[in-house]
Amino acid sequence: MSKLYLCVFALLATLSGSGYCEDAPAPEKRYGSGGGRPSEAQIAEWRAKRDAATGENTQVAAPAVVHDMSMHDMSSHDMSAMMPKPQGKPKEATAKKGRPIGMGMRSGVALWLSDTPPMRGDSARGGRSGMGGMAGMDMGGGGWGKPAVKRLWLRAGNDPQRSGFAQEDTDAQVETLLVTPDGKPEGEPLPSANDDRKGLSFEMPVQGFYRLYLTSRKLQGDTLNVNVAKAEVANFGHGGDEEEAAKGLLATRYSESAQMEIVRERKPDERKFFQLKSGEEQAFLVLRKGLPLQGARVRMISHQGWSKEEVSDEMGRVSFQIVRDYFPPWNDFEKRFKATYLLIAEANVAETGKYQDKPYSNVRYQASLSGNYYPSPTDYLSYAWALGVGMAILLFCGVAVYLYRRRRVKPYQEERFHEGK
Amino acid sequence: MKASSSRLQALRDAVNHVHFNRFRFWFQLAAFVLFVYGGYLAIDLGSRLPFFTCGYNQEGRAGVCYLLPLQHQLSLPWARLFSYAGIAVLTGLLVFALWFIVLNKGWCGFVCPLGTVQDWLTSLRRRLGIRYSTYSQGQFAQLTKIKYLLLALMILIPLGIGGGLFSHSMSPPFCLICPARMILPMFTGDFSQFTIDFSSKAALVMTALGISITALFLVGSFVKKRFFCFFCPMSALHYLISKPALLKLKKDGSKCTRCGDCYNVCDMEIKEIADDIKNTNIMTDDCTMCLKCVASCPETGALKATFAGIPIFESTEAGFIKRMGKGIHHGK
Repeated sequence: MSKLYLCVFALLATLSGSGYCEDAPAPEKRYGSGGGRPSEAQIAEWRAKRDAATGENTQVAAPAVVHDMSMHDMSSHDMSAMMPKPQGKPKEATAKKGRPIGMGMRSGVALWLSDTPPMRGDSARGGRSGMGGMAGMDMGGGGWGKPAVKRLWLRAGNDPQRSGFAQEDTDAQVETLLVTPDGKPEGEPLPSANDDRKGLSFEMPVQGFYRLYLTSRKLQGDTLNVNVAKAEVANFGHGGDEEEAAKGLLATRYSESAQMEIVRERKPDERKFFQLKSGEEQAFLVLRKGLPLQGARVRMISHQGWSKEEVSDEMGRVSFQIVRDYFPPWNDFEKRFKATYLLIAEANVAETGKYQDKPYSNVRYQASLSGNYYPSPTDYLSYAWALGVGMAILLFCGVAVYLYRRRRVKPYQEERFHEGK
Repeated sequence: MKASSSRLQALRDAVNHVHFNRFRFWFQLAAFVLFVYGGYLAIDLGSRLPFFTCGYNQEGRAGVCYLLPLQHQLSLPWARLFSYAGIAVLTGLLVFALWFIVLNKGWCGFVCPLGTVQDWLTSLRRRLGIRYSTYSQGQFAQLTKIKYLLLALMILIPLGIGGGLFSHSMSPPFCLICPARMILPMFTGDFSQFTIDFSSKAALVMTALGISITALFLVGSFVKKRFFCFFCPMSALHYLISKPALLKLKKDGSKCTRCGDCYNVCDMEIKEIADDIKNTNIMTDDCTMCLKCVASCPETGALKATFAGIPIFESTEAGFIKRMGKGIHHGK
């Protein structure tokens, strides 16, 4: 009988577009359509099911979608040939030891830049917060007279928590480009790290946004895979040069030389220390060489692994609501918990050419961007309790003062003196 | 030469005979509008201001009370605080002192928006015909120490947070219990601070304490003039660095008849203002430099406010008589 109730409830929930039936969870965790709070056990169960279905971090081929590429980037391409290509099974990833750079295309395994190394797991706490992207200094830099230093790690995988380090692939050609707020708009090459586990470090001498692009190219059959992992790091401080900070806030945040990139859309009220909060709506732009890219599939993955996919519109714009997926026991709740989201955009282009003297007839672009979000400031806040406590004290003190004063008032007593007697 | 000196004397007479309460009301109102709504006009006077222009008033503030950044700075990890970040703390303190030095505690009596709100509540109480309360001398002597205790806690708790002894949920400790955090944003339609935060035990305790103190503030301000100023750690901090301030409150004991008018009008119930005839610098730690004592003094030259040694407002018999005609709310 209870099963029947559950299924009726599930049906109602489905019809009203909300929630899951516990007995019939979605094949993959998705958000945006459900509102309930999943338990830790549910999360673990769904995670296990998803991993079983997808084979750890590798994924089945994504559904075929026709991608309309905007005209600007098609100058040398055959527009009529822009059809979705069959997606081959990806090579088995090297799982725990990391994935080779350049292996991500269509496999569902993305390369992305993170300001948190993999071993930190769930308690991601690195650097200062800000701008909904990455921020701050986490190498102890920024001392008196020294510029702040930022360190980023290249990771491979689709799960912000479980993605391992990306390992070097000798077949892939990799280049890094750092765009500083006061530097060349097309950026300067960043020297690669000696050891991939040491990450990519750079100094941030001025206020503004630093953008790091790591582009890898690799030929697989007749397909050229181009993967652009991007990180946007906000470097702002209290005090400092206000003019420099204002300039940094308004500076261009995309690169015309980037093969493909995701840009977080600025909110009108954004200031230096803006933080993206759970529950907020956030828009992103998918650009190719600085111009909007229509029809790119963009997937957002939350800190706990919830994901949602959208297709960019004619302005290259996609919008996601930042899911609330941080539900620790009350004693463990951290108001400043820094969660990581991961955004992966993909597009196919029928394009012929040669790469390292080998011909290709198809290019698969993938761009990634990660950033941080925090618990909503209204989580655990209660107006009702505040009003109750405030009113109780107000009434108690008001009545106490009134009674105290009333007790001290002596009744009027007339005394008559008869001087004549 | 003679003409200019007579013009100067005329100006002094005009100032000394001013309708003081009206002047102060409009000055406070202008300051309140500036510091509570100035942000809408893109006015920003920085974050080192020596009075409660609350940083939690996100949109409207024209500056930030120094206690907020001070507590944030002191809660930095010790390794940073006691190295390069210490310089930022010192420069912040220096800027605060430069602001303070101009008006001394006159910031409290004329500019502080929370003080102005208390004066408005006092005015409302008076109109409703509710009498005010006073402390006994014993209570006064004990309660006046609270502001120093709060100042000490306001410094020690952030240091403890930086050292990992206390939770970050307690930061900034004084702001979390300060009634200005709830009351001033309310004037711009922001009621978001009227909440209790259940996210952690420390946050729960601090925000519940904040709400409780705000309720006490409202009741207290209704029965006691400048109720909160008596416990204000900013007032304690002011007094500690008040020596080099330019604005001073001076008394000439030889001209004082100890009539007690100054004590009767004093919002802070400072008895020394009437009793002390030896000290010339009469400002005490509780004084808000509202200058109501000067305005109510009938003895010419007995009390005066000086700026860099130059008298700017002086008690005069003629001014007293003129103000009496208008009423200075004697003792109410």
